[in-house]
Amino acid sequence: MRFSSFTYLVGQGLHSMKANRLMTLASMGVLTVCMILVGTAFLFGVNVDAVVQYMGSQNESYVYPAEEATDEQIQALGDQIAAVPGVSEVVFVSREEVLSQWDSMLSEYTSLYSALSEDNPMPQMFRVSVQDVGQMQSIVEQIQALPNVDEVSAAFDTASTFLSLQRVVNYICIGLVLVLALVSIVVISNTIRITVFARRKEIAIMKLVGATNGFIRFPFFVEGTASGLLAAAISSGIVCGAYYALYRWYLEHPTNIGQLFGGTLVPLQQVWYFVVGGFVVFGFVLCGIGTATSIRKHLNV
Amino acid sequence: MIQFEHVTKVYETQNDENVALDDISLHIEEGEFVFVLGHSGAGKSTFLKLMLMEEKPTEGRVFINGQDLTRLRRRKVPYMRRQMGVVFQDFRLIPTMTVYENVAFAMRVTNISTKTIKNRVPFALSLVGLEDKMDRLPDELSGGEQQRVAVARALAHGPKLIIADEPTGNIDPELSMDIMQLFEAINKVHITVVVVTHEHELVQKLAGKYHNRVITLAHGQVAADTAHPGVAQQYEARMRAMGMEPVLL
Repeated sequence: MRFSSFTYLVGQGLHSMKANRLMTLASMGVLTVCMILVGTAFLFGVNVDAVVQYMGSQNESYVYPAEEATDEQIQALGDQIAAVPGVSEVVFVSREEVLSQWDSMLSEYTSLYSALSEDNPMPQMFRVSVQDVGQMQSIVEQIQALPNVDEVSAAFDTASTFLSLQRVVNYICIGLVLVLALVSIVVISNTIRITVFARRKEIAIMKLVGATNGFIRFPFFVEGTASGLLAAAISSGIVCGAYYALYRWYLEHPTNIGQLFGGTLVPLQQVWYFVVGGFVVFGFVLCGIGTATSIRKHLNV
Repeated sequence: MIQFEHVTKVYETQNDENVALDDISLHIEEGEFVFVLGHSGAGKSTFLKLMLMEEKPTEGRVFINGQDLTRLRRRKVPYMRRQMGVVFQDFRLIPTMTVYENVAFAMRVTNISTKTIKNRVPFALSLVGLEDKMDRLPDELSGGEQQRVAVARALAHGPKLIIADEPTGNIDPELSMDIMQLFEAINKVHITVVVVTHEHELVQKLAGKYHNRVITLAHGQVAADTAHPGVAQQYEARMRAMGMEPVLL
């Protein structure tokens, strides 16, 4: 195709958008709403993922060695725990360290250290972190089977709650994307159908003077994908802007529950390219599909 | 240029068969000017649709420029159509485009460069005497002028063949002669012209003056052909044999 033909066809497509501006506006509005919903679901999902990951890093299990174990046995136990697959970090905490931690926490009330340093009742322990919260159960069982282990304490509940929440959010996101994708295809294909109808005379003449099918179809693709990309641009602006505002607000208004979940949302800099790129692909691909289906059905070329 | 070889076209309806063309054979040479004359129902439109590749024959073959249209791939149809220019009874101009744009539009869609279009459109419009009305809309022109725009559009991409379907059907009778003479002028530069019409008085006047070939269709058959006088006798004999009265124009 000649370059002059290409620019002509692109111009025709854009001209047709302007000629049907009410319909274009309506379809772009629906597309924009779809994209905002998808984007919101995505950002929610990303933050749930981040919280789950944060919980995983915070979710330390405590392994208490048997009272009668010797220092050598305890040291060997530390190595064995570290060797369990999925364990990311093992830190030994001595009785003195436990006591001094408690002491500093209660320093305003009393001096535990001076009272108890002679006969320290605090247990020594290993602080164990896991890579994946989902594997915590099996890791704990493996540690429990090791020799000289008295007790393992782990916070399963929060971990499993967040894991199932993450799964539900993922399913909802996927379902939402599928439904909205279908809606977008129908909306775009309807718009293009109206354009085809409005231009049926021109199309008949084009066919008679020997325009190829590709040439006849091209402006419709321009129209369809341009509405998709415009909707992508608008929804990118709205979603990123709103998310940034929420992010700032969350930082400036810390709450206890917020602190428990890591104290911060995933910053916009880490997610904006997923949002914008996703919208562009969403708009381009779906509008392409929508245009193709309606052209095939109504253009009859 | 155009060749019909034993062409039969049958339209099948739910419980009926309608024979539109019945074993037609004819040959139109390059550079000829041919009138195809016939009453409504004689098979004129089918004849036209076969040449424009809107229909395929039930039997037989149609050639244009040596290309068998019945074996032409769908993808190739647009390129075949670019070798001809078509003029319709109802002009088929786009009302929202100016005269210039209407002609340019038809050239655009066949992938012709902008530079060529800029040169060729005014030239084509000057051939039909409308160079001073380039910026008008079709509705501001008379029927005869609109048809001349359509002729300019058909000529603009330089086809070797012009096909006209009742070109004077929507035009005042006084102006019909002008349009027909325009086709005669086009034929002078060695472009093959086929005019399909039912206006036999007009045809007789012109054919007498310019010695054009006239092919008459009746009952889906070739009833007469001025280039082959024997055809009329054969047709008459066939009709008599079937116990029917031959239709003569």
